[in-house]
Amino acid sequence: MARIHLSLVPICSLLLVACATQPPAPVEDRSPVEQARASEPEPEAARGLQVFPLRNPAVDELITAAEQAERDGDLDRAAMLLERAIRIEPRDPELLQNMAEVRLAQGDWEQAEANASRSFDVGPRVGELCQRNWRTMALARERTGRHEEAHRARERMQDCRVEPPPRF
Amino acid sequence: MGPENEVHCWKRWIDRKPETGLTWTAAAWDRAKDWISPVADEFAPTITPVLRRLFITLLLFSAGLTLGLAGPWVWWLDREAGMRFAERQWTQNSRVYARPLELYDGLKISLDDMLVELDAAGLRSGDPAQPGRFRQSGQQLDLHLPGFVYGDGPEPAVRLSLSIEQDAVRHLQRISAPGSGLVRVPPAELGALLPLDDNDRTLVALVDFPPLLVAGIQAVEDRSFNHHHGIDPRGMIRAAWTNLRHGQVVQGGSTITQQLVKNLFLSPDRSLVRKINEAIMAISLERRYGKAAILEAYLNEVYLGQDGPRAIHGFGRASEHYFGLPVQALAPEQIALLVGMVRGASWYHPVRNPQRALDRRDRVLDIFLETGLIDLASHGDSTGRPLDVNIQRGQRSQRYGDFLELVARQLRRDYRERDLSGTGLRIHTTLSPSAQRQAERALSQGLSQVERQPGELQGAIILLEPTSGEIRALVGDRQPGRRGFNRALDARRQVGSVIKPFVYLIALAQPERFHLATTLHDEPLSIRVAGQEPWQPRNYDGTSHGQVPLMDALAFSYNQATVALGQELGLSGLFRLLRQLGVEPGSDPHPSAFLGALDLTPLQVAQLYQPLAAEGYSTPLRAINQVTDARGSEIARYPMRMRPIRDREALALLDFALRHAVTEGTARSLSWRLPADIGARGKTGTTNDRRDAWFVGYTQDWLGVVWTGRDDNAPAGISGSATALPVWAELFSGLPVSATGRSWPEGIEWYWIDWPSPLLASEDCSNARALPFVADSQPGLYSPCMDARTESAARRAWWRRP
Repeated sequence: MARIHLSLVPICSLLLVACATQPPAPVEDRSPVEQARASEPEPEAARGLQVFPLRNPAVDELITAAEQAERDGDLDRAAMLLERAIRIEPRDPELLQNMAEVRLAQGDWEQAEANASRSFDVGPRVGELCQRNWRTMALARERTGRHEEAHRARERMQDCRVEPPPRF
Repeated sequence: MGPENEVHCWKRWIDRKPETGLTWTAAAWDRAKDWISPVADEFAPTITPVLRRLFITLLLFSAGLTLGLAGPWVWWLDREAGMRFAERQWTQNSRVYARPLELYDGLKISLDDMLVELDAAGLRSGDPAQPGRFRQSGQQLDLHLPGFVYGDGPEPAVRLSLSIEQDAVRHLQRISAPGSGLVRVPPAELGALLPLDDNDRTLVALVDFPPLLVAGIQAVEDRSFNHHHGIDPRGMIRAAWTNLRHGQVVQGGSTITQQLVKNLFLSPDRSLVRKINEAIMAISLERRYGKAAILEAYLNEVYLGQDGPRAIHGFGRASEHYFGLPVQALAPEQIALLVGMVRGASWYHPVRNPQRALDRRDRVLDIFLETGLIDLASHGDSTGRPLDVNIQRGQRSQRYGDFLELVARQLRRDYRERDLSGTGLRIHTTLSPSAQRQAERALSQGLSQVERQPGELQGAIILLEPTSGEIRALVGDRQPGRRGFNRALDARRQVGSVIKPFVYLIALAQPERFHLATTLHDEPLSIRVAGQEPWQPRNYDGTSHGQVPLMDALAFSYNQATVALGQELGLSGLFRLLRQLGVEPGSDPHPSAFLGALDLTPLQVAQLYQPLAAEGYSTPLRAINQVTDARGSEIARYPMRMRPIRDREALALLDFALRHAVTEGTARSLSWRLPADIGARGKTGTTNDRRDAWFVGYTQDWLGVVWTGRDDNAPAGISGSATALPVWAELFSGLPVSATGRSWPEGIEWYWIDWPSPLLASEDCSNARALPFVADSQPGLYSPCMDARTESAARRAWWRRP
């Protein structure tokens, strides 16, 4: 499965640099609605720019084994290993996206889309993983004849390249 | 003696004939000889030649008859033995296993839970040089996990060490060989499913039996097994001689093959005919099959006692029954005990006749020593040990009976009964033994602390992992292991306010009309119901609270505000939503349904809350992960499947409101009942006249449903917050937590609100409270507390801080 790994890193970092160099505006300049805008509650803010969070080595091991199984063409086994890993880390976006791609390869469009969607929800929503999320969703939607929705997914995929959605 | 006598004899002969008839058997022949011989020998000279000739003719006739019948008889026996051995298909019960515990560095688990898991998995305290044993010293554990055939392949036995520090696994190391940092503890066997017959077996391949057992059984039962052809004439003579000397049967001359034949094909009566049949069939088996096949069959067939009404056959099951260990993990003295029991499983029973069993065991150990199977040191060690049996009665299937019932129901939905029974299926389930233990304890302790009189209340708990829908614990009775009414599955009780979140969900799914700060009216109201008295709902505390924000109406469980909201939304919407979530609410649409006048089981309530706890991804609740055959080949898999709910934003708002219920609303007592803030969300429920008390709550890791009430549905003086919530808190305070924050859907935006007014505010306002909104659904009006000069700023371009 083709995955963009390294090519995106410079783009993302450039974008981040661009964000950081923008001069901060004075608070008074904000519109009322912007003043009323609040940030997400603290514990939930853990999600952020860290695209590859520090992962449990046991889960890494299962991912490696699943990738091997995938290369060997044993998709059932790959899915089983990923399930084991998800049982350990139910909210690991990388794991969920890997599962989505295995489901895609198995032709299980519904589960491919669901796993990718969940991966996006718990993931960084920016960068390479985000693109993989929406690419999978777009493909799954195309295969199930929902071309309009697939098109929206492709559009959303473009946004993965830019800064994350506005949040304080 | 004269002719009179002869005639008399003759008459006796005639008289006997019908009795024996054509079924002229060796035994009858035996009896006949007793009186024929005196006739033939003693009285012969006095018999007239005519009679004598007649007699000889008769004798020859009967001999011919015997031979003529014996030929086909032998042929038939030979054929039968061969066929039946080849076609024998031992019924094995379908075994149900818990989920295997995955061990890795950082796994959250307390030492207590770890010990519960090891015990459930059949590991025993002892020398970890042997598989199936572990040694604990303080926080340190040395384990020797036995091998197990998982659904994704076999894993060999492994020795490892780990320590448990601050309720987490640390320093996990394999001792035998380096390898993966992830090790599975073989799953606990929860019990057997749908027993088909009265036998219980665990089939073991010959190569998997410990060598001492394989050699030892031959040393004790049949030393010339490898050389004879099914029967051992010298052994028989030796046995006969010994028995003659002792005047009773002390030694059996049967070979292993004969014993197998007896066990497999023949009735247990002791007759010469049976002996002869046995010998013929034994020779036949030896002629057709190898020694290995016969020995393997024998080791799996031999009778080794009873487990209640069910017979234990074979060393595999016997090892599990008497020691709670796989046969591979047995120590020499344990092997000796079982080998000794072959002679008489009940006579040498280690619990009923411990002294006799001990003597027999030591006698067997002596034989092991004499034949060089063990050395002197090992013999000394072993004879010094106590019997150390640890009988695993059918209690296991009782202990987990409530959960097994759910497993059986889910299987029956997908299979025919006859495909399930007797074929030795391995059913891998989702149960966590430590969570189950915790749930059982929470219910029994929790209820005894809150009830008015001991034993008055009953209850049920369902605990699951929300994102996968896997059920980790299920309790259907306050007394663990008591079989009977399974309240978790079958108690259909009014749910009360536990239904309210779904009324609010319908509202929040219309962001153009409702948000968390929308003002609701908690006022007396009267609703016309066709053909009935007008319905006038009242609040729990008897007062009306006037204008309240939607989030408070839910968190404080105001009835009048909820019914008013429900009336605005329509009852059919609620019923439709419940059906969409997989629960049939019945067909009696009365507005009291907004307050939970619906009968649902705890399992159904768990299904309703699952998508909420799983951040908007719904999945059916599952008790089964995989079904394999006895060899581990997959028959069916129940994979994780999820479906994104369309209104994930609305669910997120609801989640926020249920957090509010825990921090400030009806469930706020959780804050002091729990040892730490685990980020719980939840909803209490109390029904009319305090008959039912519910609490449904969830964290990132767990979703738990607690119901309590009286079986007779009488008023019980209970309430969700005072009765069910403490049970839930007791349960959750013992569960591992991996406190990660939830992630909010992309379409959610946060705004400061001048609480409780539905007005935007700035952070500096005194009543400011940050609330989530579906994008662009936030109030359009500003609180007067905001600085008016910002109005001008609104015209200028604004930027968004990352």
